[in-house]
Amino acid sequence: MKDVVFYFELHQPFRIRPVNLADLKNGNKDVFWEEKNEEIFRRIAANNYIPATQHLMDYGIRSSFSLSGTFLEQASRYCPKVIDVIDDYVKSGQCELLSETYYHSLASIWSDEEFTRQVRMQTDAIKMIFNYDPVSFRNTELIYNDHIAEVAKSMGFRNILAEGTDYIASQHDVNYRYAAPSGINLYLRNYPLSDDISFRFSNREWKDYPLTADKFAGWVSQSSGEVVNLFMDYETFGEHQRPETGIFEFLRYLPVYFEQSDVHTILVREVEKRHRVRDFLSIRKTTSWADKNRDLSAWMGNLMQVNTFERIKECRDKLGDLWGYLQTSDIIYYMSIGNEEDFTVHEYFNPYRSPYLAFIYTNAALDNLCGKDYGKNIMP
Amino acid sequence: MKISVIGWELPPAFSGGLGIHTINLFSIIGHMHDVTIYVPDLGYEFPPYPFHVRKVRLSRSRFVSGYAVIEDFYDSVMDYNDRVVEQFDPNGVDIVHCHDWITFPAGIRLKEKYGIPLVVTFHSTEYDRCAFFNPQERIMSIEREGAERADRIICVSNLTRRMIVDNYHADDRKIRTVYNGVDPYPYISYPEQIRDRDVLYFGRVTSQKGPKFFMEVAKKVLELDSKVKFTVAGTGELLPEMKRYALENGFLNHMDFPGFVSFRRAIAYYKRASVFIIPAVSEPFGMTVLEAMISGTPVILSKTTGVGEALNHVLSADFWDSDRMALYTISILNHRGLMKTLSDYGKMEAMRFTWRRSAMSTMEVYDSL
Repeated sequence: MKDVVFYFELHQPFRIRPVNLADLKNGNKDVFWEEKNEEIFRRIAANNYIPATQHLMDYGIRSSFSLSGTFLEQASRYCPKVIDVIDDYVKSGQCELLSETYYHSLASIWSDEEFTRQVRMQTDAIKMIFNYDPVSFRNTELIYNDHIAEVAKSMGFRNILAEGTDYIASQHDVNYRYAAPSGINLYLRNYPLSDDISFRFSNREWKDYPLTADKFAGWVSQSSGEVVNLFMDYETFGEHQRPETGIFEFLRYLPVYFEQSDVHTILVREVEKRHRVRDFLSIRKTTSWADKNRDLSAWMGNLMQVNTFERIKECRDKLGDLWGYLQTSDIIYYMSIGNEEDFTVHEYFNPYRSPYLAFIYTNAALDNLCGKDYGKNIMP
Repeated sequence: MKISVIGWELPPAFSGGLGIHTINLFSIIGHMHDVTIYVPDLGYEFPPYPFHVRKVRLSRSRFVSGYAVIEDFYDSVMDYNDRVVEQFDPNGVDIVHCHDWITFPAGIRLKEKYGIPLVVTFHSTEYDRCAFFNPQERIMSIEREGAERADRIICVSNLTRRMIVDNYHADDRKIRTVYNGVDPYPYISYPEQIRDRDVLYFGRVTSQKGPKFFMEVAKKVLELDSKVKFTVAGTGELLPEMKRYALENGFLNHMDFPGFVSFRRAIAYYKRASVFIIPAVSEPFGMTVLEAMISGTPVILSKTTGVGEALNHVLSADFWDSDRMALYTISILNHRGLMKTLSDYGKMEAMRFTWRRSAMSTMEVYDSL
């Protein structure tokens, strides 16, 4: 017998509009890229959010969703049907809703006060929209350390998720229930098996191509431990892996082969009822699921990112309600250069196709919103 | 393998772009193959090189104090090509390699005469040199014939490659893009300078290089930020017009026009600038881009500057889009994080353009024959 925990990230940022010289001259304060945000949301709703959720529900796959607050806002604004479909799935009892920061921000790495404020906002939003009380916590892009776990525990969460980095996996089998020093349950992502679906599924160069449901069910049932945590971006289903790749058929047959192999899909909150704590696990250095480094370098990897991050932090009083939206981690992530080999991968996820343009547009928006010299690191 | 190169410039006789390319590339290839370079005999002596130099005596040049002075460029080119064919030693030659239209006629005739496979390199085309304005038909027809008759074509960028395919209908399958290299040591060893709020244009002041658009950028940047200086380093027929533009628009006091700048002084200019702009209308490669990057200077280039297609750590715009280049310039000047990131990553990226790599790719072209 083996348990599988599926958790999916559903998130959309409010992207910042590209600027031109005229915007800089006249201080255009209309900084969000409304048309683009709407276009992307509608596209992914049609390709992924709506069909994938219906499939999960129809095929009886239990899973946990982490919805960001900015995702929920865009859903209600651009495509409310997405909320209805997710609500149906939650009401069916097959879907657990996790909590995170409302803005999918980096608040956890610099301010407990701001972090807890945003988590409360998100928990309130989930309660308001779905009448649901989250008991599990998942931080932005799995950013994790002992302290973040402790803060989550103090806010009343029972479970928290983290990346099973190579280092951690070399010391501990990730396929078990662990506990952080603060006592909160800790579940580590099995990244090789997760990436088999999210990255490699349609890769014809991959030795295990094509990935079929029976093959995958076999791998899961033969893997070590008790509980396999498959955490990934929800857009895997229908957007990154297009329907032509057979990803939805894969989902359809997965429960069939899981059942044959005595594998069960369960929710994050259900693990503690079925498995004992294997060990206490202390992770002091901050980890995440981003890039190859699995740390903060996707956001703090170059001086453009560090300077913009500092600037946004300082602009609290100037920005009012907008402050949170500018903290969305994607805004800084778009400025990531990564390794030279990652450059084209980053370009794919970058609406401006360039880390430099991301910096220029974001800082022009900050100039226009907060005044030119506010928090800026000027050349001598 | 025995390779005969039909050249034009070779330092110390001229050191324009073609001469620099020839000496760097064949100093490497000369160690692996038997290379002979033919050049016009203009009275210069050459130091020992890792290849043979064959000086070709011209019949139509006039001698002034020991140095030949070329009177009519086109006629001299044709004369040179005739003399190369006359004085050519075909013994054991496997490949003839020609550089630009000024050497194509000889290569074509040698191929006809001796059946030696022909490789031609396009460092530029007539379209580039005239910035698409009034190209000379007689030169284009030489380029067209060179592209047609060559067994292999080397282009310095895919931009040039497309131009040859589109305008001369060359067979794309026999074309290979080989980027130029840059020797980083003079730039790295030069002491670091304090970077001013100074924006640099460096190159000939001709319509091909788009100096007019640089002046427009200057005007637009100064409207938003008056504490910036602009330098136009180089000479050319458009220089008076550029000065007049600055004067008429009231920013001549923000401009510096040093005229011709020597190689060593150029490094100082690069290292003092915070932004380097090349708004070329049509630039097949753009060596100055790599030189600026190795000097740690952030680069803004036009999309019609060939080397840009192989670079990530530069900002690009259409050559006519001075609004966009002005936005980029202001952003770099006002944000140390942007300036530093472009500078650091740009330097690393430009370092990968080595002559060794260019030589290896060129030899792969030889091997394919």
